[in-house]
Amino acid sequence: MDIREFKDQVFAAGREVGLEDMEVYVSRSKDFSVRIYQTEVDDYTVSVEQGVGFRARFAGKVGYAYVEALDQDSIKLLVEGAKENAQIIDSTDEIVFFEGSPEYPEVSAYSEELEGVSAEEKIEFAKSLEAEAFAADPRVSMVNWSTAGYGETEVYIANTKGLEQSYNRNGAFSYVAAVVKEGETVKTGGRFRFDNDWTKFDATKQAQEAVAEGVSLLNASSVKSGDYRVLLRYDVARDLLSTFSSVFSAEAVQKGLSLLGGKLGEQIANPQLTLVDDPLLANGGASAPFDGEGVATKTKEVISQGKLVTFLHNLKTAKKDGVESTGNAFRASFKSPVGISPSNFYIQPGDKSYEELVKELGNGLIIIDVQGTHSGANAVSGDFSLGAYGYLVENGEITRAVDQITVAGNFFKLLESVEEIGADLEFGIPGYGGNVGSPSLIIEKLAIAGN
Amino acid sequence: MLLTERLVTDVLLAALSTGGDFAEIFMEDTYNTMIRMINGTVEEGVTGRDYGVGIRIFQGMRSVYAYTNDTARENLMKVALEAAAALADTPKVKSIVLARMAVEKFNPIVLEPRQVASGDKVGVMKRAHAAAFDHHEQISQVAINYLDTDQSVFIANSEGLMADDRRVRTRLAINAVATKGNEKQSGFYGPGRHMGFELFEHLDVEEYAQEAARIAVTMVNADYAPSGKYPVIIHNGFGGVIFHEACGHGLEATSVAKGASVFAGKLGEKVASELVTAVDDGTIPNAWGSQNIDDEGHKTKRNVLIENGILKGYMIDKLNGRRMGMEPTGNSRRQSYKYAPTSRMTNTFICAGQSSVDEIISNTEYGLFAKHMGGGSVNPATGEFNFAVSEGYLVRNGKIEKPVRGATLIGRGSEILQKIDMVGSNLSTGQGMCGSISGSIPADVGQPTIRVTEITVGGRKEAN
Repeated sequence: MDIREFKDQVFAAGREVGLEDMEVYVSRSKDFSVRIYQTEVDDYTVSVEQGVGFRARFAGKVGYAYVEALDQDSIKLLVEGAKENAQIIDSTDEIVFFEGSPEYPEVSAYSEELEGVSAEEKIEFAKSLEAEAFAADPRVSMVNWSTAGYGETEVYIANTKGLEQSYNRNGAFSYVAAVVKEGETVKTGGRFRFDNDWTKFDATKQAQEAVAEGVSLLNASSVKSGDYRVLLRYDVARDLLSTFSSVFSAEAVQKGLSLLGGKLGEQIANPQLTLVDDPLLANGGASAPFDGEGVATKTKEVISQGKLVTFLHNLKTAKKDGVESTGNAFRASFKSPVGISPSNFYIQPGDKSYEELVKELGNGLIIIDVQGTHSGANAVSGDFSLGAYGYLVENGEITRAVDQITVAGNFFKLLESVEEIGADLEFGIPGYGGNVGSPSLIIEKLAIAGN
Repeated sequence: MLLTERLVTDVLLAALSTGGDFAEIFMEDTYNTMIRMINGTVEEGVTGRDYGVGIRIFQGMRSVYAYTNDTARENLMKVALEAAAALADTPKVKSIVLARMAVEKFNPIVLEPRQVASGDKVGVMKRAHAAAFDHHEQISQVAINYLDTDQSVFIANSEGLMADDRRVRTRLAINAVATKGNEKQSGFYGPGRHMGFELFEHLDVEEYAQEAARIAVTMVNADYAPSGKYPVIIHNGFGGVIFHEACGHGLEATSVAKGASVFAGKLGEKVASELVTAVDDGTIPNAWGSQNIDDEGHKTKRNVLIENGILKGYMIDKLNGRRMGMEPTGNSRRQSYKYAPTSRMTNTFICAGQSSVDEIISNTEYGLFAKHMGGGSVNPATGEFNFAVSEGYLVRNGKIEKPVRGATLIGRGSEILQKIDMVGSNLSTGQGMCGSISGSIPADVGQPTIRVTEITVGGRKEAN
């Protein structure tokens, strides 16, 4: 059944059972991925999927339901499910069904050239990732990941207030991870890439970087516990920002779950630091003309030269605070209720290269990976204590690799103690927490536990 | 489940039309409920239905997977042929005779969640909220999530297997936040079972809620844990997450078959202290990670992984079994039809030993008692893991001295296993969601209280 026709039938069925405002949020996607193992296609996945999220007001409260099959049973399930779920709600927060913004920005998030890249080209790419990884160093004992893929999504939102909008987005990814072995020591190195410009994918470079990183860690050992001056490589800085991004959500603030509550306009970070949320970024992994409630998106600074400028709002939190929505309503999928998320969310880069930052660090540690951000970090307190590895730097030079350490600190203190910001901004994997990016950062000190 | 045998046979043969030697259909129809309550107020209620079909084809070690929501004959045939197009050979399998498998249903469901009024579900949540909130004046927020899922699956393959199963799971997740001045700490408990709403007849909701609150209050009043390398006592129940992450993942055929695990090629070798016996058992009635059959249609089993320190077995799915030349062990699992299944854990635990908890603590001169663990992760190739301790205590001179917060444990799984020097008699389990390449699945972790002679503890203070 066509989605517009399905929507009309759902709204008609809803009216019959007494539902007031109604909204459908539909996502349809097409995905492809291939994984190579020992020069052969090891895994090949294709999919086409769709889902309809539905929310409706009944007796003043809003309930949700979703389905994946577009048939008559599903219409019944949606309207009855949402009606029943509305009746258990006792929150008095006012939920707004949006009639639409006067205009929507132009956003380039879909590449037709990318859509035209064939499955064979991606298979060849994944094969060369594996081959290049083996060629990069004799100590590569296996390449446990060499994969490439493509995905496209269409989002469609329509409600009984007259809103009806849609957009398309696509992207490709590749990942290579190599296991390197010397004697009894085993290390891994991996590199991920996401883009919607296929010409930016370079198998040789990606594989060589992955292997070089694994090899560089072969003779790693721990360091003495203590406070160290630390260079967080761009990907680690990004992981931390991503882990703590919920502290900028107005929902977390209103619920008392963000220590930034009450700090609008205050200096919360080093004056060099500016944090941007840019949903209009050309070809960004989270670029979109409207948010999860159909509100037109816009670019804004969240931290401007160290000052906290705004929280991220959806219509509900904006209403509560008496401000306008910042266009950050987010639905993780058609199954999820409306929440808040950043879009393309990044720390504005400075002008020093990574190499210059290493020199600038003088004596300290470079952290190139942290593990356990889902468990060893507390977004409420800002505290983190994470497994980590990287390199020891003495007199501005990398002297050896370091592993079996933990790095501990507090996110809010970290924002204040950023001393240098690199030029090497890179984004990660777009996901539920938006598309986060950071350059490398020098931090005055963090607590390292080793031996 | 509306696929006729005729359609199943046609789709499987279409999938095999380009030289595949094995094809499988997995059809799923799942009803989910999620209710979210914050500070006693129901904020969100979502119900939904996941519905779709996954088609998998093997040709030797190659695997092709395709899935769709549209189960009409024309579309299923189209998807099967599209998947088959990834292979290019002449058909090897010309006919299929399906035989319905008798599945023993050992996870009885009494109260189907879909037949229970939403108000009753909210009632349980309100009890949990009240118990946690009233526990202590420092409790500033309580978030309760209620979840139930009713998954019906139908599995058929070109070897003639045809089976169905129904998995009903119910869970309550309790998160309490304690505040002291500017500081906040949280405590969590998330009991769940492969069971219907009768779960709440067996479960002391108030006790779990109070525990979550107690952890939050204890931690907000605690000092930071000292860092360094020293003995760690890991308590029973969810403490088993350390075995799950640091060793369990390395015993899955997903890593072992390609030699990407430190445990590959070590069957019969001593990989752990002789005090350690560990099993994965998908057959425990109504346990969180149990299933009557796995997602390839094999009966689940009790698999001994390590016995008295000797590596005895792996957890094996069909595809990796081919690579390893070994039989599947009933461990093939997936989050939904959107994932090809692979070897995963079910209910995995270290078996009970001889020591009492008191003995273990009183024999520890200096160390960390990790009473509750948070989550963690592992790199299966190197065995390097990390875990957060959500409730910790410093032990000094054989006595618990004081609570400590913010500790993280890091190390290598293979080394930790050798360093277990005391194993308690108090085996219990905890529930988790395990994420890996075939998605997020319910899994029980478990162990008795154990002591490890040394682990690197990351914290924010020097050890003293």
